Amino acid sequence: MGNNYSHLEKEIGSDQLPANEHYFGLVNFGNTCYCNSVLQALYFCRPFRDRVLQFKQLQKNNKKESLLTCLADLFYSIASQKKKVGTIAPKKFITRLRKEYDLFDNFMQQDAHEFLNYLLNRVSELLQEKQGNKGKINGAENQNKTEPTWVEDLFQGTFTNETRCLTCETVSSKDEDFLDLSVDVEQNTSITHCLRGFSSMETLSDEHKYYCEVCGTKQEAQKRMRVKKLPKILALHLKRFKYMEQLNRFTKLSHRVLFTFELRLFETSDDAYNPDRMYDLVAVVIHIGSTLNRGHYVSIVKSDGFWLLFDDDVVDKIDPSAIEDFYGMSSADMQQKTSETGYILFYQSRE
Amino acid sequence: MASKSEGGGKDDINFIKDKFTTREGTYILAHWSEYTKPTRLQTSGSTNTPVRASFINVSGDPSPERICFNIGKELYVYVYKGVKKAADLTKPVDRRVYKATLPTCHDFNKIWVSKESLRLLVGFSHGQIQVTDPMRKEISSDPLKRELNKFFNEEKLIDKSKVTCIKWIPGQPDHFLVSYASGQLYVYNDELPCGPTPPTYQPFKQGDGYSIHTCKTKSTRNPLYRWVIGQGAINEFAFSPCARYLAVVSQDGFLRVFHYDSMELVGSMRSYFGGLLCVCWSPDSKFLVCGGEDDLVTVYSFNEKRVVCRGQGHRSWVSVVAFDPYTSVFSSDNSELRNGTKVQDVQATVANGNQSNHQKPPADLSQTSLQSSGSCVTTYRFGSVGQDTFLCLWDLTEDVIQQPINTRTRTSILLSNPNSVSATLPRCNNVQKTNSLLSSNDISGDGNAHPVGNSVMGNSTHHFATLSLGERKEITEKKEHKRNFSLSSKSSEKNNMLKSNHVKHIDESIKVLGTCSCPRLDEVPLLEPVVCEKISSERLTELVFREDCIVTACQEGIVNTWARPGRVVSDRDQ
Repeated sequence: MGNNYSHLEKEIGSDQLPANEHYFGLVNFGNTCYCNSVLQALYFCRPFRDRVLQFKQLQKNNKKESLLTCLADLFYSIASQKKKVGTIAPKKFITRLRKEYDLFDNFMQQDAHEFLNYLLNRVSELLQEKQGNKGKINGAENQNKTEPTWVEDLFQGTFTNETRCLTCETVSSKDEDFLDLSVDVEQNTSITHCLRGFSSMETLSDEHKYYCEVCGTKQEAQKRMRVKKLPKILALHLKRFKYMEQLNRFTKLSHRVLFTFELRLFETSDDAYNPDRMYDLVAVVIHIGSTLNRGHYVSIVKSDGFWLLFDDDVVDKIDPSAIEDFYGMSSADMQQKTSETGYILFYQSRE
Repeated sequence: MASKSEGGGKDDINFIKDKFTTREGTYILAHWSEYTKPTRLQTSGSTNTPVRASFINVSGDPSPERICFNIGKELYVYVYKGVKKAADLTKPVDRRVYKATLPTCHDFNKIWVSKESLRLLVGFSHGQIQVTDPMRKEISSDPLKRELNKFFNEEKLIDKSKVTCIKWIPGQPDHFLVSYASGQLYVYNDELPCGPTPPTYQPFKQGDGYSIHTCKTKSTRNPLYRWVIGQGAINEFAFSPCARYLAVVSQDGFLRVFHYDSMELVGSMRSYFGGLLCVCWSPDSKFLVCGGEDDLVTVYSFNEKRVVCRGQGHRSWVSVVAFDPYTSVFSSDNSELRNGTKVQDVQATVANGNQSNHQKPPADLSQTSLQSSGSCVTTYRFGSVGQDTFLCLWDLTEDVIQQPINTRTRTSILLSNPNSVSATLPRCNNVQKTNSLLSSNDISGDGNAHPVGNSVMGNSTHHFATLSLGERKEITEKKEHKRNFSLSSKSSEKNNMLKSNHVKHIDESIKVLGTCSCPRLDEVPLLEPVVCEKISSERLTELVFREDCIVTACQEGIVNTWARPGRVVSDRDQ
């Protein structure tokens, strides 16, 4: 195994390796690649890593173990390695995860997106509990209002749900927060198109009619969702697993969906604060295989200008032009390739 | 090709169209004129090199047209019979199969051409270049009859990245220009050797975001010039029809226009986001259209040095854009373009008269202008194809061209009244001059000459906005420019390139936003396509407008011909 790391060092050139960066593969504890791939992607979302390490600094005396302390310990152990490349076993984190969440307490392959969701929400909860404790000390106890933590500061955006009653033309809008956006995928499209699909106008009719407060009855209405607050880190989940009722299982949509290194959003609301924010792609979680339960996850991350592929304990440098292999498959490719597709995209705001 | 399934209605998005209708009439897929490999069955699988097509007319033959296209590792030349006769796939003029490298692009020499001899220029995925004659194959002892077969950069000493675009230089039949994924562009003379050693370069000229080098040798050798342009790959370049300007689009999202002979940067524009993938000139050399990774087509006015409008219709990256000179209607007053093209001002392609066919509101007004030649209601027609398998046709009309940039009130930087387009116009030109002056002298590289910033400063409407931004960034800007220059000086090392790439981006993209090089989304009109149809099951890679037809090609390796309205006799149809 040692060969791998010297191989990576040789490939990048040991003098080219950035001074304060560490590339450490994560050992697989039996189908834990869903976890490893997301952890690597998050580690290379620099603002997230910085906050986790900051938390670690502040927590030195706290003995109480939580998923967040395990995450902080893991990130810290990577960041404080003497060597620049190597392998680490995230044993404590995995054990804690399995203990905390029944669904992950087995040796089955899990959905990386579900894990990301769980992790971000759990970290936010843990931080809120801490803030809550402080609040109690200050006597300013407020149970209903949850203070945003740095998780929200980094990942949370807001979209406006605008509904227009087709009878009285009244437009009502409701804001909703999100930590990531899940978008439908179509064959031979781009992530930009998928995002536009997310915001496209939808007509509510028949059993889906909308209760209009002005009319006081259920009415046909048009609905669309537009992003109002753009997050610092935009996590995009491609809905590649579709439940097929006839088959009674999830099938994978391996559609070819192109993603760019740069991204701006088109469908922002009129009152959006920063509608033309420019994003850079920093990490992608990739699903390999044709089914949800029997696949493999890897991730590609951008670090100091070059791209790296993390496949559990193996780390490789890849040429940016090789990333197009992860867009997915068009109909002509179906027979020849295994499905290796971008699944979660992490875009970081440039400002 | 998976064509019309029984269930698929016309509104079904997955229905592959074999005809579409514009204001001129209906375009029909000429099924009999499908060019591909002789045997369709032996698919070598789809590769990622786009299938491109080149045409040449060898006068003096009953079927004078030749078509060249590449599929994977193969290169084909056929007699092209257009919409008139069925394609004969059993008899290719030439077929070549390459090993270990794939043909990526090609161009016929328009001067060295006869019934017996052609000069075909081919670029390859591993950097090599070939000049060959597809008509002559026999190896003869008579050197005059021997097959023309020259290789350049065969040992990859000059550049080992992928050739992205290759073209003979207009007016110089022995010179060609070739661009690479490495971000470099080379000028070759096909009479000169490449030399047995890698070239040593010396700086020749430097400007903002680009530098030009020559070889440091006693005897003249190839390449004659090396241009290093922008950050990252050069995706395509195009000479203006008047042959004086060279437009280059790059992965860094920039379109850069150079005066070719003086090597001055005379215009630039930035995509909304992502790389620009393709570029083309209007027949009168006044406008440029670019397509890119933002799924948009962007129209740039070369005269006014500003983005005129964007077009939204594609569902994925735009791979090819092309003007349709036969449907475009514009004034032939090219007083400022000395060697202006001889494109007729009005080409009423289709006097179909069948006006009941599918009329869109803006079409009505141009219908009349199409017929009454000489009237000056300008409408440019251009097309685009993309990775989404869709063909879009767009009309660029006078009202859009003349609409000034809409500076938003919320930016509250409005200085002069926004209606004064004519007033800002000459100023733009003015600035352009000072600008090129600056950039050419600016070899010291302290990064003051900024065409983007400067041309904007000239436009009074934006003056204050840019100024304040510039001031804020001044210090960091200088620093970053130095890094940028160190790159252009000499480094083919990808790592270095990517690194400085990263640094530079931060500066550039944010500063340009909201200027006439990259207006905000609501600052310029957003066009909708007049036609937007799925015409293939695979991503589209080629689009050529010809007098009687439109030619498209897809990644699978099928070249299709679409007969223009009225160009197919009805009983010939299918």
